[in-house]
Amino acid sequence: MGYDIFLVIMTAGFGLLAAVPMLILPKLLAPKSKNLAKEAPYECGNIPSGSGRISFMMQYYSYLLMFVVFDVMAMFLFAWGVSYLATGLIGTIIISIFILVMLIPMAFTLFHAGRRELW
Amino acid sequence: MTQIRSFSDFLIRVIKIVAVLAIIGGIFVVATSFLQIMFGMSELPLPISPSDLITNPSALISLLTGLMDTDFFRISVFPGFTFVALYGAIAGLWERKLLAKMQMRVGPLYAGKVEGVLQPIADVLKLLFKELITPKGADRFLFGLVPVLTVVISTAAIAVIPVSEHWVIAQSDFGVLVIFAVLGFFPITVLITAWSSNSKFPFIGGLRALHQMVAYEIPLILSTLVAVMYSGSLNLINIVNAQSTYWFILFAPVSAIVFFICGLAEMERSPYDLPEAESELASGWLAEYSGMNFGLILGIAVYIKVYIFSALFTIFFLGGWLGPNFLPPEFWFILKTAIVTTMILLPRGVLPRSKIDVLLRQGWARFLLLAIVNIFIAIVLIQAGVIVPGAV
Repeated sequence: MGYDIFLVIMTAGFGLLAAVPMLILPKLLAPKSKNLAKEAPYECGNIPSGSGRISFMMQYYSYLLMFVVFDVMAMFLFAWGVSYLATGLIGTIIISIFILVMLIPMAFTLFHAGRRELW
Repeated sequence: MTQIRSFSDFLIRVIKIVAVLAIIGGIFVVATSFLQIMFGMSELPLPISPSDLITNPSALISLLTGLMDTDFFRISVFPGFTFVALYGAIAGLWERKLLAKMQMRVGPLYAGKVEGVLQPIADVLKLLFKELITPKGADRFLFGLVPVLTVVISTAAIAVIPVSEHWVIAQSDFGVLVIFAVLGFFPITVLITAWSSNSKFPFIGGLRALHQMVAYEIPLILSTLVAVMYSGSLNLINIVNAQSTYWFILFAPVSAIVFFICGLAEMERSPYDLPEAESELASGWLAEYSGMNFGLILGIAVYIKVYIFSALFTIFFLGGWLGPNFLPPEFWFILKTAIVTTMILLPRGVLPRSKIDVLLRQGWARFLLLAIVNIFIAIVLIQAGVIVPGAV
């Protein structure tokens, strides 16, 4: 099990080896000229005003919260799905009840996420 | 150098120095491991004397086949980086010609004598000569890190994708989980991009990209659960071998559709390309990237992702490399992957963009329910005895 993860990291390392020269070459070959207008943040022609890092929008926050919970649920479903025959009918019934029970808070969250006057 | 005004500034400086040292150390470790892998080719029939070459030239063939079996060849050439980069370049040219024909115009025509085949090379050469501009006030380290990180993560995911039973870089018993673990890094990359360019448009675009990618990742994972249930294994080679009687798309059509659409959303292609919407958000979270930074993210990493999703679609639903015996299995895999790639490239010329609240709501409400519906269909089919997991 250890050797194939090592190979994945090797492949990522090869990607690093391929990407780094493509960033070094423009530094050597491209013309350099410092200009204040080039380095200002882009705002479609306006002169930028205010800070670039405005506050985070909270409009779609409930969708992010749902992701955390449903990601863990997906991992449990994978554990069941691979060993389908070993867990038998009882396992299937238990997992189905698990999914159906999780749909209730999902409906609640989607209802509240859709109420745009709240956020 | 920025001034240190408080303890948190000091901590951030220390963390940056440690990170730079870790990256340099990592490059050193990777380089030496490469040398070890290359010199681990000691079971090759070397050396061959010149007289042996003249009298018995077939000794060279065994040397070449021995060379092709090493890990370094697999990482760099065949199912690895060079193959995927070539596939990406051809997919880029094919996309532009396809869109042009759909819009009743010619596409690239002038680079190269025949129908603009040298256009990708011309693009890369142009981008190499452009200046890399870092906006003022941007976080320099993170800003320069992101293009490299995107390419590295895209390349890491191709390590477990098998082109045929023999040609795979890393044959892992947890292949499906490795792929989703690597693909889960992309939302973080987008967020780092959005924060580090000190500008409002990339910030809003990056947040929208984060919400979109995170929303469509759960239906993607759950739609592959059906293929895992039918084959009883997380190993991608076993999943393909379990389709030797019938392809899984016949037993899980809903999951195939959900996988395809969620793949479109993860790759940020039409109709889900709101994060890089050129007319609305001034090219979204990539707005501050110029020259080769832009070329790495939008050119190379996007087409590597297109290859990854096309290959995964053929492995999970279309039977991978299985096909009639008169042609080699690698050919069937590449043919099927090319057909799926064409289907991925087509909606860009046809469909309008989805709005952000519409697409988030659809992703959570509709696609998650469709994926769960197909899990129940799979339960019924397995209980009825139509498919037996792990029979192969």
